[in-house]
Amino acid sequence: MATPAAVFYSPLVVDHFDHPRSVGRLNDADDVVAAEAGSRALGTQFHLSARVVGDRLSSVHFEAYGCPHCVAAGSWLTQRLKDSTAEDLQRWSWREVAEALEVPAEKRGHLLILEDAVRRLAEAWQRRV
Amino acid sequence: MSELPVYLDNAATTPVDPRVAESMIECLRGVHGNPASAGHDFGRRARALVEKARAQVAETVGARPESIVWTSGATESDNLAVMGAARFYADRGRHIVSAKTEHKAVLDALKQLEREGFSVTYLKPGPGGIVQPGQVAEALRPDTVLVSIMHVNNETGVVNDIGAIGKVCRERNVLFHCDAAQSVGRVPVDVMAMNIDLLSLNAHKVYGPKGTGALYVRRVPPVGLRPVLFGGGQEGGFRSGTLATHQIVGMGVAFELAKAEMEKDMERLRDLRDRLWQGLSAVGDVDVNGDRDQRVSNILNVTFLGVEGESLQFALRRLAVSAGAACSSASEESSYVLRSLGRTDQEAQSSLRFSLGRFTTDADIDIAITEVQREVPRLRQIARRA
Repeated sequence: MATPAAVFYSPLVVDHFDHPRSVGRLNDADDVVAAEAGSRALGTQFHLSARVVGDRLSSVHFEAYGCPHCVAAGSWLTQRLKDSTAEDLQRWSWREVAEALEVPAEKRGHLLILEDAVRRLAEAWQRRV
Repeated sequence: MSELPVYLDNAATTPVDPRVAESMIECLRGVHGNPASAGHDFGRRARALVEKARAQVAETVGARPESIVWTSGATESDNLAVMGAARFYADRGRHIVSAKTEHKAVLDALKQLEREGFSVTYLKPGPGGIVQPGQVAEALRPDTVLVSIMHVNNETGVVNDIGAIGKVCRERNVLFHCDAAQSVGRVPVDVMAMNIDLLSLNAHKVYGPKGTGALYVRRVPPVGLRPVLFGGGQEGGFRSGTLATHQIVGMGVAFELAKAEMEKDMERLRDLRDRLWQGLSAVGDVDVNGDRDQRVSNILNVTFLGVEGESLQFALRRLAVSAGAACSSASEESSYVLRSLGRTDQEAQSSLRFSLGRFTTDADIDIAITEVQREVPRLRQIARRA
C-alpha cells in the first residue's frame, strides 16, 4: 500500500471535521443565494448556500467533498460569513481560513476552490439584487 | 486520542506471537556466538539454532533445509531472486515476465534490470486481479530467463494459481520466482508441488520479528544467482553477512506455528472477515476489490464510493487500516494495484484495506463495523450533492 505522509490536522480542523456546523443546503427561495466550485473528479468540491436579510447574510450552509481540511474549512466558513455583505465576500481571501485552521502549505490549493465558491456566491447575490 | 486504535493492518505487519518472542528472548539471553564460528562451542550452539530454524522454515514450504538462504526480509529476497537470477543467466537471454500488480520490491528490481538492458513484460491481470497461467505462457519468448509472479497480492489478497504458473515455467524451462510474503500461514505453500525455483519469505507477516526473511533457492538441479551483498561468503556465497541468530530463531518458531495453526486461524478469520463485510456493505455503495473467491481469508479491500479518501481515513482513525493514498501533495498518488484493476484515481483513493490476524477479536470487528456505519454515511451527508 502507499505510505501516506503524515498530515497535520490542527485541533480546530479536528473539531470542525468531527462536528461540522451548518451542513446541507438551503432550499431555493427568493432570499436564498447559492454557488459551487470544484469537482469530485478533481477531489475537491464545495457548495455554499446562504439566506440574505437586507444587505447581509443571515445564515450560510455548506456541503463539501474533499479532505478533512476542506470539510473543516467549509464548516468554519459558514460561521465566518454570517452577517457579511456582498463586498465582504468579494474581499474574502483563502488566507484567512488557512491561518485560522493552520492549514499546511501543501493543502492550500484546495482553499482556492473555496475562495472561488465564495466569489461565485457574491456574484450570484449581486445578480439577484 | 488516548486509546490505541483497533489493529486491522496485519497485511502490513503482524504482532509478534508471544511464543515467538519467548524463543527470541531465550536466544538473546543465552546464545551470543557467531553461527559462522565453527571452531568453538559458542559458535556451534548458535549454528545449531540457526539450522533448526532453517529446517522449520524449509518444512513449512516443502523444501530441503539447505535450499533456504537467510536474508533481511522479503524485499531483499525479491531483489536477490530477481536481480541475482537475471544477471546470472543473462547470457541465455535478457527477457523477464512479471505483472503490474507485483510488490515494489519486485517492480523496482525489474526497473533496475531494465536500466541494465533487460526487457520486461508486465502482465495486466483481469478485473479480479488474478494473473492467468495462460497469460504467462503467451508472454514467454525464446530469450525469457525468468518469470516473477506473486502468490498472494498484498493489497487485495487475491491468490494467483502458482502451481499452474509454475507448471508452465517448468515445461518451458524458464526459472520461476514467487513472492510469498503474504502467503505463509494463510494458504498452503509447497515449492516442490508448485514447481517454484525461487521463493521470497519474511517473518514479520507471520507473527515473527521484522528484519528477517529467507529466499528458497532450488538446489536440485541448482539455480544460480549473482549475489547482491558481498563479504564473508555466508549462506553459500548467496548472501554475505553475519546471521541474526535471534531473528532467525524467531522466524523458525513463527513458521512452525503458522503451519500448525493455519487451518484453525483461517477458519476463524474467514468468519470474522465475512461478518466484517456484511457490516461494511450495509452502508451501501461499497465494492470489494479483487476476485471474490480466489482470495485469502484475512484481507478485505473495500472501495467506499462517494467518500473522499483522506477524509475517509481520518474519519476512521480509530481503526488502524491501510489506505489507497493520502491527498497531501507529497503522496498524491493512488494505488497502482487498484488502478490496474480498473479503479479510477478517486475510487482507488477511497479504498481501505482491512487485514485481520491471529490476534483480531470479535470485539475488534464490532468496533470496525460501528465506526464505518457511523462515519461513511456522515461523510456522504456532508458531501451530499457538493
